[in-house]
Amino acid sequence: MSSPGPLSLLAACLLPVLGAFAVDSARVGLWGVGVELVALGWLARDPRRSVKLLAFGILAAISIFVSTYLYGGRHLDESAAAALRIVYIVLPAALLTPVIQPAELGDHLAQRLHLPSRPVVAAVVALQRIESIGEQWRQVQQARRARGLGPDNGVVRRFTGLASTAFAVLVVSMRHTASTAVAMDARGFAAATQRTWAGPAPWGWSDSIVLGLGIGLSLFPWFLFPWFF
Amino acid sequence: MLTQVSLSIPAGQRVLLAGPSGAGKSTLLRAMAGLLLTADQGDFSGQVLLDGDDVAETPGRVGLLQQDPLAGVVAETVGRDVAFGLENLSVQRDEIWRRVAGVLAATAFPYPSGHPTAALSGGETQRLALAGSLVLGAEVLLLDEPTSMLDVSSAQVVRDAVRRETVHRGTTLVVVEHHLGPWLDFADRLVVLGRGGRIVADGRPDEVLRRERTTLASEGVWVPGLPAPEPNRIDEGVVEPWPLEPFTSTGVRLGNTGGAAIVTASGIQVRRQAHLTGGRGTQIIALDDVDAALHRGRTLGVTGASGSGKSTLIAVLAGLLEPNSGDVMCAEHLGPLRRRRREPRPWKWRSAELAARLAWVPQMAESGVVSSTVFDEVMATSRAVGRGEGSDVARTHRRADAILETLGLSHLRDASPYHLSGGEQRRLMVAAALVHGPHGLLLDEPTVGQDRATWAAVVGCIASAQSAGAAAGLASHDLEAVTALDADPLRLEHGRIG
Amino acid sequence: MNSTRITSPLLRPHGSPARWRTIELLTAAIIGVVFGVAYWGYSSTYTALPGLKALTGPFVGLVNGPWLIAGVISGLVIRRVGAAFFAEVLAAVVSTQLGTEWGWTTVISGVVQGAGAELAFAIFLFRRFTWPVAALSGALAAVGGFCYEWFTWLPGFDLEYKLGYLGAFVISGALVAGIGGWVLTAALARTGAIDALPAGQEAARHNAV
Repeated sequence: MSSPGPLSLLAACLLPVLGAFAVDSARVGLWGVGVELVALGWLARDPRRSVKLLAFGILAAISIFVSTYLYGGRHLDESAAAALRIVYIVLPAALLTPVIQPAELGDHLAQRLHLPSRPVVAAVVALQRIESIGEQWRQVQQARRARGLGPDNGVVRRFTGLASTAFAVLVVSMRHTASTAVAMDARGFAAATQRTWAGPAPWGWSDSIVLGLGIGLSLFPWFLFPWFF
Repeated sequence: MLTQVSLSIPAGQRVLLAGPSGAGKSTLLRAMAGLLLTADQGDFSGQVLLDGDDVAETPGRVGLLQQDPLAGVVAETVGRDVAFGLENLSVQRDEIWRRVAGVLAATAFPYPSGHPTAALSGGETQRLALAGSLVLGAEVLLLDEPTSMLDVSSAQVVRDAVRRETVHRGTTLVVVEHHLGPWLDFADRLVVLGRGGRIVADGRPDEVLRRERTTLASEGVWVPGLPAPEPNRIDEGVVEPWPLEPFTSTGVRLGNTGGAAIVTASGIQVRRQAHLTGGRGTQIIALDDVDAALHRGRTLGVTGASGSGKSTLIAVLAGLLEPNSGDVMCAEHLGPLRRRRREPRPWKWRSAELAARLAWVPQMAESGVVSSTVFDEVMATSRAVGRGEGSDVARTHRRADAILETLGLSHLRDASPYHLSGGEQRRLMVAAALVHGPHGLLLDEPTVGQDRATWAAVVGCIASAQSAGAAAGLASHDLEAVTALDADPLRLEHGRIG
Repeated sequence: MNSTRITSPLLRPHGSPARWRTIELLTAAIIGVVFGVAYWGYSSTYTALPGLKALTGPFVGLVNGPWLIAGVISGLVIRRVGAAFFAEVLAAVVSTQLGTEWGWTTVISGVVQGAGAELAFAIFLFRRFTWPVAALSGALAAVGGFCYEWFTWLPGFDLEYKLGYLGAFVISGALVAGIGGWVLTAALARTGAIDALPAGQEAARHNAV
């Protein structure tokens, strides 16, 4: 069986959000998260990055638990449900995001969903710049530190430092953008409203299965859980 | 920018286009490619015809390679990148892949079509851009300083590829370069664009060179056969290291007699996460078991191919990176006080402490900009470390003015650093690294994009700071600069001392 | 020589005014990516302080402003239908790729916030790009974000909290994303980095006068 494409994976990341609304007790939440792990876990490809992505969700769940408890009337079960709602939403993203490749996603968005070609290409090109933008970010921060303007201490200085860094990176990126636009137009992109795609965008059995799992996870907390228990 | 430029190029001719920075060479190339409206602004008039057709109407017939290799990369893999132009021309998928395979084989591209573009070196990326133009059947190739950001051997490989591919296809070629030498025997014609954007000389390369050699050199063009210019030194008083606090109070002055190591790296290893988004344990070893030291009154000249770890070593010595193993230590007396003890590890220092001791000129000069005017830019660090106040102001201003003057930036004092050209920005960063009087000066490719005159000024400033008692460390492809500074050589190969 | 602008074969025809130039598409996309990385950096700091939300109550809405800035800036710089929406959504995709505490729902937030930011420019028919419009754009982006959070993150809270949160969110959106985005755009225009785009050209004309 071929591996699932980006659209079905994306659906499986997003559909469980609908199910999360029905997570109204710790018991539903715990069962939901368990079922989710089984249903989507086999698709994960990059455990280290998944753990990293999940860590953001766990931290958020803890903080929502605390704030719901303090400001929502000090109900333990309700607060736990709020926290598990977050885990139910974040877990699919943590498992599947590393599997979704931007270039492939672009191919599918344009050919299968028929989104306009030129914006899709621009988005894919820009997504490929994440690494070089990250590198620029590092250089700007290093330069600011070397110039005596680094964020040594203080929240305000950190925040203004972040804003200045973002601005410097933006300026540098804009200049690179101009060169990239020239390079793209030199290869006929300016007039390419009707363009072909070198990459295929197939929808296979595995996609249908993954989509089905996503739908199942959106329904589980609403119907399946009450039906089983 | 350009005025009344008329140029007629017969098919198959190979033209070298020279001239000082700012003469409009790149603009002329974009005009010839029919791309002025993509990113240029202003008023245009005139026309560019290719066999009688407007170039803008016939995409693919004119190919363009730019200075920054990364600018041309549009896809994640080699094959998809080459395919980009074909996709735009609505070629069918089977035909796309047939042509991509054909051009990769014909140009002897060293990687298969599934190879990630992010893993290519600068030179390989330029060859990829070349393949991306050739696959469209480009009849004209316009090259905008395609090798100026590459090391010597990569530059040679790119030139060879251009030569091989254009000769047997009979491609018309227009090359813009600062360094004319390597292209001369290949060119049929040399066109010189003067300041003000007019053509001042046009003819066979040897004749134009014979006639205009001195004019070209005085315009700053690197003419083959002339020795590198003498470094243009500056008064040592304005670049000498600023005494650190404990020493001024006890009256001890730093001598300039040289020799002592101020920063020593021993057995350092630096690992780097290869991708921001990838977690698959992909770590690159950027430096492995490297020893290096900065000595007062000397220059450390770090050379090596792109990706050999030069920039990483310079960043480690500048206190910007913590090594994964090994030590980076400064000389005892330089460390800032921490509870009566001196902290010897530069990467542990606070930003202001670091800035007072070591300065860094980044490879991407514009990423160093922190102020809105040129003058504020060179004053920024002095202010941050408390040398722009009280009795120090006059001295700091004097230093700033003198350094800006030498580096040819005085007339831009109130300009925005972002409005400067690439070469000017790089000189500005050198100035900003010198004014506050650091004891160690770390520079990453400071001479890129400089013409003969400004090259002499940059090298002269470094030389003067060094004789005034600073220690310098230089990462560079520019062997002439390394020689002119009489640097202690350190050659890196794949992150190790070669 | 007279000074009239000559339309010549060098000027490549752009088609209809609604058609985006390559540099406009790319600029909107790059604004999205740069701020996506910035959002991620900001949210990492935010996530690392889990006590923050608990301690400040509904005022936590005040920290949301920075997450709305990409749309405002893109709308101001590019001045075309969809620019604000495109950049804000892409920024959300990028921060999701890098990892946030909200998974792919970050992209849903991006969609509703981008739609809010876009609405403000649409109200003025993509003709006015002054600071009040920018502030409105930031405020409406916040309202969009709030509508979505009403169903997702807020059900456990009482109405008082929700209204307080909305107020804090809108203030932060209008000030940080709106006014802040307008200031940043003006600064960007002064650097000359966006000279090929409407906002940069207007700034250049202004300077020339």
